[in-house]
Amino acid sequence: MTSALLRLEAVSRSYGARRAVDEVSLDLYPGGRHAVIGPNGAGKSTLLHLIAGTLHPTSGRIHYAGHDIGRWPAHRRARAGIARTWQHPALARPLTAVQNVLLAVPGQRLTALRAAAPVVAAAYEALAQVGLTAHADRPAGQLAYGDQRRLEIAVALAAQPRLLLLDEPSAGLATGEITRLTELIRTLPGDISVLLVDHNLDFVAAVADTVTVLHHGQHIATGTPTDIREHPDVRRVYLGTDAPTSPAPGSPTTTTAAAAGTPILRVRNLSAGYTGAPVLTDITLDVPAGRVTAVVGRNGAGKTTLIHTIAGLHPAEPGADIRLHEQALTGCDTRRRARAGLALVPQGRRLFAGLTVDEHLALPRPHPTRTRAVDVRQVFDLFPALAERRHHRPHQLSGGEQQMLALARALIAAPDALLLDEPSEGLAPAVVGQLAAIITGLAAAGTAILLAEQNLALACQVAHDIAVLDRARIIRQVALADIREYPSDLHDLLTVPTTTPTPS
Amino acid sequence: MTTTLSPSPSPSPGPGAIATRPPTSRPGLLPAWLPPTAGAVALAAAAAAAAAVALPWLVNGYVIALAATGLVMAVLAMSAQLLVGLAGLPPLGQAAYLAVGAYTAATIATLTNLGPIQLLAATAGGAVAAAVTGLLAVRTRGTTFLMVTFGLGELLHAAANAWAPGGSEGVHVTPVVALPGLPAMVRPGWVYLYVLAGALLIGVGVAVLVRTRFALLLRGIAAHEPRMRADGHHTGRLLLAAYVIAGGIAGAAGALLIAVTRYVSPADAAMGVSALALAAALIGSGSMTGACTGAILLVVARDWVGGLLGGHGPTLLGLAFLLLAYLPRHRLAGLTIRFPRRRT
Repeated sequence: MTSALLRLEAVSRSYGARRAVDEVSLDLYPGGRHAVIGPNGAGKSTLLHLIAGTLHPTSGRIHYAGHDIGRWPAHRRARAGIARTWQHPALARPLTAVQNVLLAVPGQRLTALRAAAPVVAAAYEALAQVGLTAHADRPAGQLAYGDQRRLEIAVALAAQPRLLLLDEPSAGLATGEITRLTELIRTLPGDISVLLVDHNLDFVAAVADTVTVLHHGQHIATGTPTDIREHPDVRRVYLGTDAPTSPAPGSPTTTTAAAAGTPILRVRNLSAGYTGAPVLTDITLDVPAGRVTAVVGRNGAGKTTLIHTIAGLHPAEPGADIRLHEQALTGCDTRRRARAGLALVPQGRRLFAGLTVDEHLALPRPHPTRTRAVDVRQVFDLFPALAERRHHRPHQLSGGEQQMLALARALIAAPDALLLDEPSEGLAPAVVGQLAAIITGLAAAGTAILLAEQNLALACQVAHDIAVLDRARIIRQVALADIREYPSDLHDLLTVPTTTPTPS
Repeated sequence: MTTTLSPSPSPSPGPGAIATRPPTSRPGLLPAWLPPTAGAVALAAAAAAAAAVALPWLVNGYVIALAATGLVMAVLAMSAQLLVGLAGLPPLGQAAYLAVGAYTAATIATLTNLGPIQLLAATAGGAVAAAVTGLLAVRTRGTTFLMVTFGLGELLHAAANAWAPGGSEGVHVTPVVALPGLPAMVRPGWVYLYVLAGALLIGVGVAVLVRTRFALLLRGIAAHEPRMRADGHHTGRLLLAAYVIAGGIAGAAGALLIAVTRYVSPADAAMGVSALALAAALIGSGSMTGACTGAILLVVARDWVGGLLGGHGPTLLGLAFLLLAYLPRHRLAGLTIRFPRRRT
């Protein structure tokens, strides 16, 4: 019997009341290629943090190469051969690419005035492995996002690891870059074991020999990529297959008043990107009053960027036209857009850590020129759970209550158009149901709602129109009723990169 | 031996590495503040050094004393820059280690008036004090580090008031002897040259230090500490080492200070001195020469131009800070670098 290089025994990690990782056990054998998948908020990144030592487990044991490393600090684990990448590139941005790699090459003296020849050779070899030799002397912060991700992998490889932890390595990469990344991981020597977290199932199937599925911190299944795709529980929690085929009672089609007239929020020719990489191309979108428009798409499709660009948190490229009530918002900053009647509930809620529920709701004020007004009492009527917790601070609230508070904070400004970014992230199914009822109610009251959502079940439950975002474009925009006719088609779009040619 | 004629073998990698290395690139280890036009910079530095050495023959005693004070503050600014410019930790208590060094040198002065020995003892004193207090300080980052170092500085200031020889009155010190056999230095010109030599010596040491791998690791910590831990570096230990070295440099500045003033009192540990050192480092935005220039300019603005303006030195200093903060090149780079932009 070969012993596992890494063995997790019922490892748990709690954030307050929430268990981000709940008694997860897994074995990784030398040379293994193990992937961990799961919906947003499943605890995947936390699991990597626990193994790398950035976080320590609340309970359970972590064995690595025969040692119980649960209490070891991160640098000791790194010296024992555990290298990692982060979900967002963790680099010394002012330093050049090769300096970043040199930081990780072991066996150098602190007093050395210049790196020894073998060390420099090792650094350049790591850069060559990821194809960044040409950028060796550029500051890491100036590299394109995809190059930064590859540089981080070079840094991890330069440490000569036995165990490589990769946190969403394919996120934010273009298709060609993912192919190269797949090739790189496949050609890694057999004495390096890989544990990676990712959303891209094709990528996972191409590189991993074992897949573990997490959901709400709990272990759902472990098996080969093929087994996992067939697994009924996995299809249910990760692919969210059950909801659209059985729409919830009281679904929006029955509750909608026929108020859907001219669109309140209009978006034309919207393009945006990060340091040269286009994330959104030529987006056209209408959100009418009293209707919920859901933007769905895989992780990295550009949903959050779309929401942020509309809200004014991210610059749009010239030529874009965003209108609210026929008032052009394109040149306005975030504050003016909020005054015009646009409210944002950001991903991850972004509550103010030091403020109580009451103080959160005292902050936003509708502008005096606005006709609509909402007072705190009405908001508490809508969220009775918050009314009992008016003097609590965000960390004393459950995940669901936090989301309700973020929503309440947006509503108190009496918006005409509400932007919701992944409201169901990290919420239990029962709370998601509550949330769906509230969103439906808001739309019925006349608010135009734009919802970016990875949880397809929720999107189908509340939305009137669905826009599918894929590779920077809206490739399909249909009414929900039409979606119901071919639900499997939509799932294929969202979970598996399509092989059909996309408009170019 | 022909080694002096043949090119240095150190940058050529092993045979297997040549293929992977672009032929034109340097290893990329030179600090960012050494520009490619190093020749012109060296020329300017030589001219500045010549002017600095010739100064005693050019100006009056008051300006000489002012220049010596400026040099002492430049050394203290280098100590602050080591922390804020390299490691990204803004210290607001470096004057405390200067005072520890000054009192150590004053104590040694009762045994010997030999300057170099006082300098070494003061360096050791500052380093030991920094090692003890640094255990607390390097656990914190950003604004908290600023507060903790400020608190430590105030405690040492209070301790000097209570227990140091001379109490709040301070103690007078005999003139320093630069080398055995030479007469004691009482003329400001000689004292100035002694301080200049000491400051240059420390400057050379710092120049070597900022080119070591240790300095690169500190810059890595300033940029992304979790990444450095994941690379296997004990960041706390590295930061403590940096803090101790910075304390030692501040202590050495203390020995130079009593050579100039021949007097040490708790006022030397005042917060204003620490703030001036930190401000000079921030003006230098990461560069050691920038920090030294900043320190000399600040001393000139405070003591000399302020005198001309009839005691409005602090006003001038405040206006200068505002101006520098809003100049685009001086965005107080050291302070902003450290505040973590946390994303999941």
